[in-house]
Amino acid sequence: MRIQGKEITTSSGIPVKNTYAQEDISGLDLTRDIGLPGEPPYLRGIYPNMYRGRMWTIRQFSGYATPEETNERFKYEYEMGGTGFSIAFDAVTENGLDPDDEGAEADVGRGGVNVCTLKDMETMFKDLPIDKISTAVIASPFSACPLSAMYFALAENRGIRLRELDGTTQNDILLFTACCHIPATIPPRHLIDLCVDLVEWSAQNAPKWHPVSFASYNYRENGLNAYQEVALLFANAIEYIEKELKRNRLHIEQFAPVLSFHMAAHNDILEEVAKFRAARRMWYRIMKERYGVSDPRAQVFRFHVQTSGSTHTYQQPLNNIVRIAYQVLAAALGGAQSIHANSFDEAICLPTELSVLISMRTQQICQYESGVTVTADPLGGSYYVEWLTGEIERRAWEYMARVEAAGGLVKALESGWIHREFFRAMADYQKEIQEGTRKVVGVNCYEMEEEPYQFPVFRPNRGSAAIQKAKLARIRLERDNEEVEKCIREVRGATERGENVMPSVIKAVKAYASLGEICDVWRDMYGLWEVPILKIE
Amino acid sequence: MVKKILMAKPGLDGHWRGAMVVSAALRDAGLEVIYLGNQNPEAIVHSAFQEDVEAIGLSILSAGHIDLIEQVVDCMRKKGMEDVILVVGGTIPGEDIPRLKEMGVDAVFPPGSKIERILEYFKQARKRSDEPTAGG
Repeated sequence: MRIQGKEITTSSGIPVKNTYAQEDISGLDLTRDIGLPGEPPYLRGIYPNMYRGRMWTIRQFSGYATPEETNERFKYEYEMGGTGFSIAFDAVTENGLDPDDEGAEADVGRGGVNVCTLKDMETMFKDLPIDKISTAVIASPFSACPLSAMYFALAENRGIRLRELDGTTQNDILLFTACCHIPATIPPRHLIDLCVDLVEWSAQNAPKWHPVSFASYNYRENGLNAYQEVALLFANAIEYIEKELKRNRLHIEQFAPVLSFHMAAHNDILEEVAKFRAARRMWYRIMKERYGVSDPRAQVFRFHVQTSGSTHTYQQPLNNIVRIAYQVLAAALGGAQSIHANSFDEAICLPTELSVLISMRTQQICQYESGVTVTADPLGGSYYVEWLTGEIERRAWEYMARVEAAGGLVKALESGWIHREFFRAMADYQKEIQEGTRKVVGVNCYEMEEEPYQFPVFRPNRGSAAIQKAKLARIRLERDNEEVEKCIREVRGATERGENVMPSVIKAVKAYASLGEICDVWRDMYGLWEVPILKIE
Repeated sequence: MVKKILMAKPGLDGHWRGAMVVSAALRDAGLEVIYLGNQNPEAIVHSAFQEDVEAIGLSILSAGHIDLIEQVVDCMRKKGMEDVILVVGGTIPGEDIPRLKEMGVDAVFPPGSKIERILEYFKQARKRSDEPTAGG
C-alpha cells in the first residue's frame, strides 16, 4: 500500500476505500463476467478443480558457471521436490555470443550458466528425466532459436518425440530489448521474425512446447505497476500474433494454444490476485472478441509466476523470506500453473543451495499446509477483489490503447517510447521510497545501523571462462567443419529467403555449430541495434 | 565536490534500472551525468578520459564485479587516471567491499542505498590526489 496525504492506494496507485460492498460490484453480471473455474471467461481459473487436479509446478530458475555445475544444482532441486527445470543463462549466452568472444570473459558463467553448443546442453541435463519433467529455456529472442534447437536435439537424441516434448522457451522480445538489454542483438524489427519463427515451427512440430512465454515479470521489475504489466503483456502477445497472421501461413487456432505467459508476484497480495484474475478474463476476451477464437485451449491464460526480485532488500535479507512467502501466496490464490520462488539472498548474490532449499520449502508449505489450495479461486466473490479485478482490467485496456497509439510494440520499442515509460515508472518508484509514501522495511523504516546477522554468500566458479573456452576449442577441432560451414550457409539462405529458420538451425546445432556462429549470421545481415535508452533524456 | 560523472555498465549484463535511477537523481541534483550504458572496461575508461570526468560510476549486477573492476582499474592506471573517483553500485556482497576498496574503488553503494547519501558522498568527495576520501 501507499499513503499519500489522506489518500490510501494499492501498490499501483489505485485509490482504495475503507470498505467494499455489494454496490461496488453491482455492474457485474455474475455469470458472464465471473462464472465458474474452468469455464469462460476463465476469470476464476483455467481448470474446474484447479489444485485438486494438479498442483502448480515448482520451477526454480537456476544456472551458474558451467553446464556441469548447473547439472548438479538441477539434480539437487529435483531431489528436493522440484517438478520443473528453468535454465538461467549467463549474459554471454543471452547475447548469442561464444565464451571465446572478445570481451565476454568476465561474464562467462556469472549471472547464469554458459551454453554454446549442443554438448553443453547434453551435459546440463545428464541423468535428468526430461521426458517426465519439463524445462523452461529462458533464452532471449536472439538466442531462442539456437538454444531451443539444442534442447530439441538433446530430446531427439534420447528418443523423445518432439510431439511429446513438454517445455517452454522465454523468447520475449520486450524483455531482452527493454528490461535486460542484450547489447549484441539485431534491431527489433528483424528480431521479431526470429521470435515468430520459433512460434510457427513449434506450433507445427512440437505442439506441447510453449515457444514463447511473454514475460511481464520483467516489465514489472523495471518499475511498471500491476495494470501496466498486464497491458504490455497483451500488447506484446498481439504483436506476435499479428506478425504471424501477416505471413499467411497458419490460422490463429493453429498457434494460439502454444502461447504462454510469465507474470510477477509483487508485494500487494490482493492487488496481485486481482491482476492474475483480470489477465485471465482479458486473454479470453482478446481471443474470443478480437480474434474470434473458439478453441478453449487458446482461450485459457496459462501462466508461470516469479516472485518479485525488485522487492528484495539487501538490508536484513532474511526478511526477504517473508516477502517471498507472501508473494507465493498471492500466486497460489491467483491460480498460477507454475511458480518460481526467489531466494532471499538474490539482492546480494546468486542463490546458495540453502536459500534455494528455503524457496522450495516455502512453495511446498503453501501447497500442503496453508490450506489455500483446497478450493478453486477462494477469493472469488469478495467485494474488494472483484471490484479491484475490474479496475485493473479497465486500466489495462486503457494503457494497451496507448501502446497501440504509439504504433504497436515494435515501433514503440524502436522509438524509445517503451524505454521512456519504464524510466518514468522506475524514477517514480524510487521517489516514493525516498519520500516515504512507499514503505520498505529495513530501507526507509525499521533500519538498523549494523546488519544483525551473517549468512553464506555464493561464489561462482571464476574458472568458468577458461573451462568453456577449452571445451569449445576442442569441439571446433573434432567436429566436421565443412559440414558446419554448409549448415551456417543454409541458416543464412533460409533467413534471406524469409523461410522459417528453425529447420536449418536444428541441422546446424546437430553438427555442433556454436551459438555465436549461428547468431553471427544475423548480426552480419542486420547489424547491431543501438538501445534507445541513451535517448531517454 | 564532483560536478561531472560518467555512469556505465561494464560487460554484457543489461539490468539498467539501478544505473538509470541513480543517473537521474544525480542529474536532478545538478551534476553533469554522461550515461554510457553497456560498454567494455576499456571503452568506459576511454570515454571517461575523453570527457575529462571527475568520477566514474559503475553498476554491476552480474556477480562479475571483481574481474570487471580489476579491468577498469587497470585501464585507469594505464591512462594515468588515478585521480578520478571510482564508485560502484549493484549486487555486491558486503564481504567484497574491503577487497574492492583495496583494488582502488572509492565507494560502494549496494541496493537500497539512499539517494541522499550518494549525493552527499559526491558533495564531499575530492580527487584522491587532494586528500583521501571516506565513503560507503
